[in-house]
Amino acid sequence: MPLDTSTYSLALLRVDGRRWNELRRLHAQIRTQDAADGSSYLEMGHTKVMCIVTGPSEQQQQRRGQTSQRDAAAINVNVVIAGFSSVDRKKSGRNDKRIQEIEVTIANALASNLHTHLFPHSSITISLHVLSQDGSLLAALLNATTLALIDAGIPMTDYIAACTAGSTSTYAAGDDSADPLLDLNNQEEQELPFLTVATLGDSDRIAVLVCESRVQVTRLEGMLVVGVDGCKQVKQFLDQVVREKGAEMVREGAVEKSDAMGMVLDE
Amino acid sequence: MASQQILFSPAELAYLHRSLSLKPPIRPDGRAPTQFRPLTAETGILPGTNGSARVHFSDGTEAIVGVKAEIEKTIEAPRAEESKPESNEAASERTRGDWLELAVEIPGQRDDEASTVFLSEMLREALLADKEFAKKLFINRRFHWRLYLDVLLISPPLSYPLPLLSLTTHLALLATRLPRLKSEGDEDPMFDDDWEASTFLYPQEGTATNGSRPPITLLVVAIGDNVIFDPAKEELAVAETALAVSVAEVRRAQKAGDMEVDSKGRELSLLSIRTIDPPSRLTPPGVPHTSNTGSSAFAPTKLQKAGDQETEGVWKAPLGGTKFGVLDGIIQAVLEKGGVADEVLDGLEGVELS
Amino acid sequence: MPREAEPSLSERTFVTQALEEGLRVDGRKFDQFRSLELTFGDEYGVAEVKFGKTRVLAKVSAEVTVPYTDRPFDGVFTITSELSPMIAPSYEVNRPSMEEVLLSRLLEKTIRRSGALDTESLCLIAGQKCWSIRVDLHVLTHDGNLTDCACLAVVAALRHFRKPDSSIEGETLTIYTSAEREPVPLSWLHSPFCVTFSFFGEEGEQILVDTTWLEEQLRVSTCTYSINKHGELCQIAKFGGAALDAPLFIQCATGALNRSKELTDLVERKLADDAKRRDKGGFMAELTAENDR
Repeated sequence: MPLDTSTYSLALLRVDGRRWNELRRLHAQIRTQDAADGSSYLEMGHTKVMCIVTGPSEQQQQRRGQTSQRDAAAINVNVVIAGFSSVDRKKSGRNDKRIQEIEVTIANALASNLHTHLFPHSSITISLHVLSQDGSLLAALLNATTLALIDAGIPMTDYIAACTAGSTSTYAAGDDSADPLLDLNNQEEQELPFLTVATLGDSDRIAVLVCESRVQVTRLEGMLVVGVDGCKQVKQFLDQVVREKGAEMVREGAVEKSDAMGMVLDE
Repeated sequence: MASQQILFSPAELAYLHRSLSLKPPIRPDGRAPTQFRPLTAETGILPGTNGSARVHFSDGTEAIVGVKAEIEKTIEAPRAEESKPESNEAASERTRGDWLELAVEIPGQRDDEASTVFLSEMLREALLADKEFAKKLFINRRFHWRLYLDVLLISPPLSYPLPLLSLTTHLALLATRLPRLKSEGDEDPMFDDDWEASTFLYPQEGTATNGSRPPITLLVVAIGDNVIFDPAKEELAVAETALAVSVAEVRRAQKAGDMEVDSKGRELSLLSIRTIDPPSRLTPPGVPHTSNTGSSAFAPTKLQKAGDQETEGVWKAPLGGTKFGVLDGIIQAVLEKGGVADEVLDGLEGVELS
Repeated sequence: MPREAEPSLSERTFVTQALEEGLRVDGRKFDQFRSLELTFGDEYGVAEVKFGKTRVLAKVSAEVTVPYTDRPFDGVFTITSELSPMIAPSYEVNRPSMEEVLLSRLLEKTIRRSGALDTESLCLIAGQKCWSIRVDLHVLTHDGNLTDCACLAVVAALRHFRKPDSSIEGETLTIYTSAEREPVPLSWLHSPFCVTFSFFGEEGEQILVDTTWLEEQLRVSTCTYSINKHGELCQIAKFGGAALDAPLFIQCATGALNRSKELTDLVERKLADDAKRRDKGGFMAELTAENDR
């Protein structure tokens, strides 16, 4: 594969014209679907995902050997990658280990963030649909899940916001001048080492860290710093989406404004 | 089919059944028997596909269909068979089936589950029943388009999703565009890069409009003598018969000077009818008050007896098949001029294709 | 389906409280590994690793097959792992548990996708014949830290393995038996090792290495690094769990690098020992008329 990103060093612009620390266009909606308890739609560049949350509801029969939990809600995550989501149609099997890994990651990240102990003997089902993929898939899925869970009104400690960070040179080149990059698209992910990082709220605390490419350990720090910074931007954005939707719902009279709401509606 | 659990008590089922067998029936959501749930639809939502559509019913169920087309080399039929036109036809019939791949994804269900496979086969069967479908995918003798239809149910499966998926597939196919062919004859195909110049798989206007349109599959249930279209979950739970009826519109080339196009109505062809096992068969029967003497030692035998004969107002799962008269009525209601299929197609025509 | 017994409440409190006081149940320091034992089998390509009570056996085998059509110049390399009911009744045959899926993904990413084995060297005739190297991983007992143990076993077994020598003359491919020609080692590029850190306490402030099964059930979060001695990370996996401060990850990466260097030295040493042992009774030695006198 030709290294298209090698032009980066000339103008310090990436293949899609961004600078190193720029996120792609983010767009999100919540409460996209009436039938679900919580739902969201999220775009990170051309990566488009939808999330539907059902629950907390009565625990369904045991599936796939999950251990039943008596004192907390079980979280089931189901990721469906649509056949038309990538450039070439690819049908992923139900037993694709990569998808299963993503599902476990999301479920585990949520298990320690949600107050599942409030819903014993119940289950929260999260189904995610990937409509289009162009890099940062896990990050987009995590962000969409956060939004949908907020819509469903399930108590959580804080937002989980995620994004990817990479480094401009491949592992073989030992140059120290490599720039870290934020929010990689598919083309960059193919060529450059990158990691997905998810943080909790405004803190520097990392909930998920997944790196699948070969990279010098010395680059890790730079990538982490950029990634955590990106997560904060994403969190700002998610928060704004939630606030806007909340203000809209109050305006439309869907919910009553109460004193407990600590948000400014007249903006 | 019986994938969803029915969480209605026998008393609720009896109530639903009674109100739905009245004349005219009273539906839980107040619709007329032939009325569909209101829906919102949009097409061309996914730029990465050849055609896509999203349909959203008022009860919150939602589906997305994406169509992708790839060029594939046609595996040539053995030369010997070409001399015999009949066997050649059979061969082309077979290849036509492979040219279309349809996958249904329902969240929380495995894609090899019987009910999912049944759903996708019903949708595929209706499409392939159209003899001209393969012609649309034909490029030249050596190449053809291979269509991949991915049908995604986004919402949890609240009601039987067949009508929703079918309508979404219909719209997605109408919106499907293929690049314009630049090459001629049997040479390797070359296409116009300009997406604006691409042609619709189902031409919309002009001389090429004749031929069939993509099919729609309607779900019809019969309760008593009443025929009810687009049943909601509650209605399906008490249905005595459930049928999936696939129809397609066939358009003929209009003669010049034929001014009154709209008033002529459309020509519909019935493609397939499939019976669907209604979930009502698995419902537990109600216990009549007379035999519900919990303390009595004879209660079991009495229950047995109550199961044999129907008591007025006590729910009992329907048994047996469909009467011819009911079947007739259903087909009539679907196909007649100004009937349900007409109405639905009219509604779908109003969706702007992008 | 049998379920894994969870640690009881008193066990739970005992272990966590002890950790807060800086003590582990088996008396180790937080950053101390269990005694490690690596033994090679009589055959080439068999390695057994013991981390305390965790015991894993890896066996490598090779056969000639047809390469995948989309990769005509590459050989086939697969790692199969099975967690059988031998470990605990909660593991079932033919139904991969989540743990097994994650383990096989981790090994795949660490060893296969990082290019530790040069798959191009396995090609015999492009598009027609290639070597298929298969690693079978058997977990014999599971007492925590399975990932690190399994990774070490697989790497050691692959390093130890010798495939039959072959030659191509024109169109004919000859595979020699071990009596005809000495088998050749695989073309190995780098040795990545997994190092798993487990986090305990409210804030994840207690970092433990080489945890036992009991400790693993009580940890709040875990992070696995795969790294070789040159400081190249092959993957990092922190699949959810409690959120941790970012600087911890840098700190752990340094720890992982040191451990990886230790493990590299250990494998090298053991391989050298094994080679020496074999050399004595080698085929050439058998043929010589000299004796030790």
